[in-house]
Amino acid sequence: MEEEYIEKTFIFKFPTCTSNQEYCLKIPLKIPFQGSIIELVYRIMSSFKLPPYVQSDLYNSLSANIKEWTLKFHDDKTEKLIDAAKSGDLDVEEIIKKWEKNYKLKTVEYAEPIGTTDEELFAAAYHRLVHSPSLEPILQAEHKFGKDVTEVIKMRDKDYQQLTQKQTEEMHVAVETLEAGSTEKSINDMAARHFEEQSLLQGHWGSKVDALKLEQRRQYRNWIMRLLEEQQTNMLPTPVESPMVPMPPLGQGFYNCVKDDKKGVSHYQQLEESFTIHLGSQMKQMHNIRILTGDVLDFCRTKNSDSESIDPTPQRLQTALGLYSNDLCGLVLLSDNHLGSYSGITKELISISQLTTEFHFPPIDEQLEKIREDVKDAVAWRQAHHKEDNDLQQHTKKSTLSKTLQTGDVFITRHSNLAQVHVIFHMVVNDSLRSGDINSRHPAILGLRNILKTACCNDVTTLTIPVLLVHEMTEEMTVAWCTKRAELVFKCVKGFMIEMSSWGGAELKNLQFLVPKGMSEEVFGTLATMLPSIFRVSNPLVFKATSTPQTPKK
Amino acid sequence: MCPALLENEERCFGGMTFFARSHPAELCGSNGLPLTPNSITILGKSQFMKTIQHPNLSTYLDIIRSKHERTIVVAEYRGEALATKENLSNDDIIKIAYQCLIGLKYMNELGLVHSHLSPENILINKNGDVQLYNFGLYYMTDHGKNVSFPIGYPKYTAPEIFLNNGVRSFKVDSWSLGMIIAERLLKCTLWPGVKLSQCLRKVLSLIHTENSVFERLSRENNCYRIYENLPEDIKDFVNSCLQIHTSLRKVPEDLLSLPIFENFLKKDAEEMEDKLYKNVISRKMDELYYLWQLAGGDMLMELKKQGLIRSRPPILSIPNLIILLGQMFGRRDIAGLLDLRVIKVPLNTLNQRLSHILYVANYPRLTSDMHVQAQDDLTEAASQLPLIIRERDTEYQFHRIVLYDRLLQIYPITKDTIIREAHKDIPPPVRGAVWAALLNVTGDIQKRYDMIDKETPTHTDRQIEVDIPRCHQYSELLSSGAGHERLQRLLKAWVRDNPHYVYWQGLDSLTAPFLYLNFNNEARAFACLSAFIPKYLHKFFLKDNSAVIQEYLGKFSQIIAFYDPQLANHLKSINFVPELFAIPWFLTMFSHVFPIHKILHLWDKLLLGDSSFPLFVGLAILKQLRDSLLTSGFNECILLFSDLPEIDIELCVKDSMSMYQRTPASITYRRHQFNQSKATSWSEPEPGTERMPRISVDDFLDLLNNTPERVIIVDIRNNIQFERGAIPNSINIPFTSVQLAHVQIDTLGPQAKPLTDNKDSIVVIIGLNDQNNALFAEFLTSCQVFGICSLQGGIYALRSKAANILHRSR
Repeated sequence: MEEEYIEKTFIFKFPTCTSNQEYCLKIPLKIPFQGSIIELVYRIMSSFKLPPYVQSDLYNSLSANIKEWTLKFHDDKTEKLIDAAKSGDLDVEEIIKKWEKNYKLKTVEYAEPIGTTDEELFAAAYHRLVHSPSLEPILQAEHKFGKDVTEVIKMRDKDYQQLTQKQTEEMHVAVETLEAGSTEKSINDMAARHFEEQSLLQGHWGSKVDALKLEQRRQYRNWIMRLLEEQQTNMLPTPVESPMVPMPPLGQGFYNCVKDDKKGVSHYQQLEESFTIHLGSQMKQMHNIRILTGDVLDFCRTKNSDSESIDPTPQRLQTALGLYSNDLCGLVLLSDNHLGSYSGITKELISISQLTTEFHFPPIDEQLEKIREDVKDAVAWRQAHHKEDNDLQQHTKKSTLSKTLQTGDVFITRHSNLAQVHVIFHMVVNDSLRSGDINSRHPAILGLRNILKTACCNDVTTLTIPVLLVHEMTEEMTVAWCTKRAELVFKCVKGFMIEMSSWGGAELKNLQFLVPKGMSEEVFGTLATMLPSIFRVSNPLVFKATSTPQTPKK
Repeated sequence: MCPALLENEERCFGGMTFFARSHPAELCGSNGLPLTPNSITILGKSQFMKTIQHPNLSTYLDIIRSKHERTIVVAEYRGEALATKENLSNDDIIKIAYQCLIGLKYMNELGLVHSHLSPENILINKNGDVQLYNFGLYYMTDHGKNVSFPIGYPKYTAPEIFLNNGVRSFKVDSWSLGMIIAERLLKCTLWPGVKLSQCLRKVLSLIHTENSVFERLSRENNCYRIYENLPEDIKDFVNSCLQIHTSLRKVPEDLLSLPIFENFLKKDAEEMEDKLYKNVISRKMDELYYLWQLAGGDMLMELKKQGLIRSRPPILSIPNLIILLGQMFGRRDIAGLLDLRVIKVPLNTLNQRLSHILYVANYPRLTSDMHVQAQDDLTEAASQLPLIIRERDTEYQFHRIVLYDRLLQIYPITKDTIIREAHKDIPPPVRGAVWAALLNVTGDIQKRYDMIDKETPTHTDRQIEVDIPRCHQYSELLSSGAGHERLQRLLKAWVRDNPHYVYWQGLDSLTAPFLYLNFNNEARAFACLSAFIPKYLHKFFLKDNSAVIQEYLGKFSQIIAFYDPQLANHLKSINFVPELFAIPWFLTMFSHVFPIHKILHLWDKLLLGDSSFPLFVGLAILKQLRDSLLTSGFNECILLFSDLPEIDIELCVKDSMSMYQRTPASITYRRHQFNQSKATSWSEPEPGTERMPRISVDDFLDLLNNTPERVIIVDIRNNIQFERGAIPNSINIPFTSVQLAHVQIDTLGPQAKPLTDNKDSIVVIIGLNDQNNALFAEFLTSCQVFGICSLQGGIYALRSKAANILHRSR
């Protein structure tokens, strides 16, 4: 908004001592006047070489003039408006609406009263309980619930497998006996029947699992609220029993399927190195940085595939404690723009998160559905925005107008049932990341910046980033490619972190750089040594028995 | 027994909070740098509010910027809001109106518009006096531009505000006050129970009023009877406020000249004299706030406790989608509404903390030497504690502030006492003033500063503009718009005021601590800077300052060799000279190296020393890095200094202070230092020619007289001369017998034993001429002997000054 002002000329006359002549000064001024009047007086005095005795006269006259003109300036402006409003040139109703909206949207006094929402109530209750002796039973209950769902899902998978096998055999036989007994039509019929069977089974299990989850969720949430109530009234040191949701009637194949999941987590050498660094030239800010190899989904998978285990894993404890705190854990997952509909890592994530019940947030498929809605808004926004600076960015026209998400866009899901993360940033990427020559203006890097900014603004203080911006090792990733990519990401992230200090949010305390598993120890070593040269590693504090800080003893 | 803080204290802290408008994603300023967050802009701008002291305005105490663009304002809160008062007599109402006008008039003189007047913001204390509260909201948010909510209560807002979004004039307050007073006089709530839109419509419909708005209001609210019975002068006053046409409406200043206030004005003028000497020893509100914080007070916590800050778990408000351009979607955010509630926080915590201190402690009796015995006992006991602890101790700080407060009131006659006390410590709230005292700043500094032209463009402007956004930007104050503006004015003023000097990069860092301490007092910041530079950086800002810097660094090398020969030898062997790292240290007096909070502690002591003190600070820093330096080669050293590791500042200050005090002044003499009084007869060799410093005869004799155990004298004349006359207990190592190429102290024989064992003493070399002295000194240093210096002028100088100390040895 351009400041309004008017120009005025200040005229000052003063006599001389020796002659009857009058000097006359003309000084242009902007009204309303900004700055110090006394300083202006001194400037006038020195530039016109005025005698000192006129100083106070000049000051008085100047300040009186400015005061008068400023009042007049405002008066004129408002008089005009009032006359316009009186005569109806200004639409008073419009103005009233605008102000009403403004007051209603922005001030508590006039806004719609907002009570505490259910989710906030539940959050507060849960947060309080996990920081009390009730923590253990809660985790136990969650674990138990989770196990139940996992078992049902295993059974489902087993059933699927059996059905598929049966159908394959049937089809095989039918195809072999083509000509002899079966016709093309009968095979087609059979295929259709198979498909029907499949979907029937899917529907059957799907509703079973959903029903179980829904019931568990309901029970769990009620139980939590009851627990809180009892704790508040009785100050009970030991909490009430957790509720039990009856498992649905188990199929006959249950007992043979319990212990067939022996593959566990793939074993590879875990490489890892940590640093404490500080950023900033004068004011140093400490951060922990870790570089490690691993599968990105290991941060999500709860490693209790052994269903017999009674106790939840220790990671869950950490995650539960932090869920509603101001220290969230985030993970960057590289995704495509299909939001997990078809395949890819997002799909895998979905199945992992569906292994247990999500007690706190909507289930992941619902979250994704909501995001699909938001994508529509985003596309509309992008188009509207695009029109504004159309001439500026002709060349980006094609990509801007696409109906889906683009490289560098990020969608976010929240979870309470994953191993080590609360928030997953799904960054949309494409094949351009495979090439060796991306620079700091690449959308994926900018997306990374948006992620760091969001993390900062929402108190995500632990963040894991795939340092090479890929999740799997591939052929074209040579040593040179890896080091170049890692250097780019390190440097950009460093820059963003320095920038972050001015965003006024939470400091990133722990930053983890994830390297795809299967990277050779040598390359990992190169990347790890790169870290301290890019980030300034803080000096270790050395305590020495001999050197006292005092001056040498006499 | 009466405690230090009176229990009938009526003053409280009032806390309120609001959110600044956040910038739309990814905008840049005109200089290409990211925009300053609005909360920082508000913080910088609102500092000015803290300087406003007026009986009818509540004092602003603190503006806190908290996470996620939240701003918390802490101000004095005294009495109760006008909204809670009922059944006021007309006289009371007129008195309230009068005092409000006095407050508004003062604000107008400062160019401020309240624009937020309401019965909630007019506080009335036990005596019936008025204080306006929250009067700075409009100013500190830059006419409401930095916040998204509208400022002003709809009912009391002048109609023209709704018609126009521009800057508001003084006259809007006259209207608001008129409405509030009219409401009181009519003894009813105007338009009770109307909805917001109706209320707005009512206000705007007033513009069609032909005659008196006041009359119309009374008719609309069915109290025309009351209106009729009001005295004419009161009606007059309200009507002068409630004029639709602003040219007819009066500003607060003119309203005060209405006949109705005549008596008040007269009475006030009479009471002025009396009040002057009352309440001299009640502590100021900002001091109480400072102590309250030390005693564990935290406004953020108080606001949380009272539900004004609702903490919503962050995971619940994270957005769903962020597209590349930074736009967010699906954010579940409900915060950010303006909640005008004010939280009153009484001083209880502080009262309890200080309950056992007597009231008289508020006004300690100064002895004729201007110091207080009780203070000495106190500081004596606390001196063992680290400074950080002392700065957090409520009681200790209370006593210190009381004392400094008194001393500063009668500065400059208390200058010596202030220096004496500053040697102990300086409490943070008075640091700015104490520094000015240490730098001997006196006189009409404001006038001097005003007279300097800070606006006319000069050729250094561009450089200054580039440097300022890079200068200590982690500090919220210095990174705010107001901070940038003030720093620029200071720098321009200095350049203008010192035409023989030029602007060197680093001057910005040097100015930053002064601005930080005197954020609301540019003149003092400028006066401090102007006194600081000649004292410590004499001639450093010449256009060609190479000679000065070279000499300084040469001296620094000598000091390193003097105190740490091993390190000096190592640095020499890898050819790592001070020019490579120490120039920014000394040119900015370390203000470019350390964050502000460390600089403050460092300069607390620096200001007590002379221009040689920085040399010891540099040495103390090297001492902390010593281990890594000794094991590093040239490249590692360069890297180490390019991004200096954390330095323990307290240790650094302590080390440098003790070295400074133990070192004879002449060791650090420089030709380019400011104070030449002692160095008149001093002939320093060309800089860079001698590796070791020289000591003057006077200093040497001082040492010999006062601490003979701390001197080792090495006489390098030949045996015959030595026997003829030498200082008792001196060691004779004839120069001719030394093989300079063999850097082995053992070659000197058994009499060199005290030199190898030397840990703490100063080794003074006395010879016939300076060249040999220097060569031998260098030789000893190469042998890692501590504390080497040579006697200026050699034996001849000694003979002419104090021949009597030379004795025939046999």
